[in-house]
Amino acid sequence: MKYGRIYFEDVQVGDMLPPLVKGPLQQIQLTRYAGASLDFNPIHQDEEFARAAGMGGVFAHGMLSMGWVGQALTDWAGAGSVRRLGVRFAALVRLKDIVTCTGRVISKSEKDDLRLVDVEVWAENQKGDKVVTGKATLVLPSRA
Amino acid sequence: MPIKVNKAIVGKEYPPFPVTVERGRIKDFAQALGDPNPFYINDAVGAASPWGDVIAPPTFSISFRDEAADSGALLRDLGVDISRLLHGEQEFEIHHQLVPGETYLCRTKVLDVYEKTGRSGPMAFVVRETAVTDRAGEVVVSMRQITVVRL
Repeated sequence: MKYGRIYFEDVQVGDMLPPLVKGPLQQIQLTRYAGASLDFNPIHQDEEFARAAGMGGVFAHGMLSMGWVGQALTDWAGAGSVRRLGVRFAALVRLKDIVTCTGRVISKSEKDDLRLVDVEVWAENQKGDKVVTGKATLVLPSRA
Repeated sequence: MPIKVNKAIVGKEYPPFPVTVERGRIKDFAQALGDPNPFYINDAVGAASPWGDVIAPPTFSISFRDEAADSGALLRDLGVDISRLLHGEQEFEIHHQLVPGETYLCRTKVLDVYEKTGRSGPMAFVVRETAVTDRAGEVVVSMRQITVVRL
């Protein structure tokens, strides 16, 4: 149920998020993301600059992958459900990479009338290397 | 010989800056992610939503910049070149949704600078926090960012 909402009561610890698959990454997406995020670091745009910097070529903004992880969460739980999202950028995403974002419910709790679900999240490339790892807390509605 | 970062910036607070969220920028951001969620891009869906308007994707506030300030200020304060930066970690705490037309105030502070040697050599980690407050002074989003400097 894309863009629907899920209810707190329907979520079980261990539930997996439906995987969100992005890519193969193209340069135009990095250019577009630079414009949207106002991060114009040439290391994401200019092959020569990125090589001279010792990075072996252009790579994606970490925030692009984090945005995709956010999308995997909101595709599943609904827009506006993310209360907290924290990640570590574990590896670089390169042009032509295919990135799959998913996650797993690790706990459920209730606090101050909020129904909270903690999710372990990650993104990996086509080789199975983790590029993003982290944790999210979602606020979900109740059927009650 | 590794370069040195200026650790004297720990504790530094940058001047607060206002950001007015524009509808078009939310849509551009969602589309740049390839996220066509109608709660971000469809005004009618937004109007009928609990927020009364479209909302921003969870990572949108990363785009908040001080347009009046020199974008190289942090680099200059650290004494490093942009080609040495990597994004290490990022966290968002979202207390209220960001909506178009609202003006928010952003305050960024440098919490810590520390050095560590990793697989790819010596690195410095710069920890910054940005509080985004609404007109009532309430924190709507807080962001914590670790920037890695390859030394």
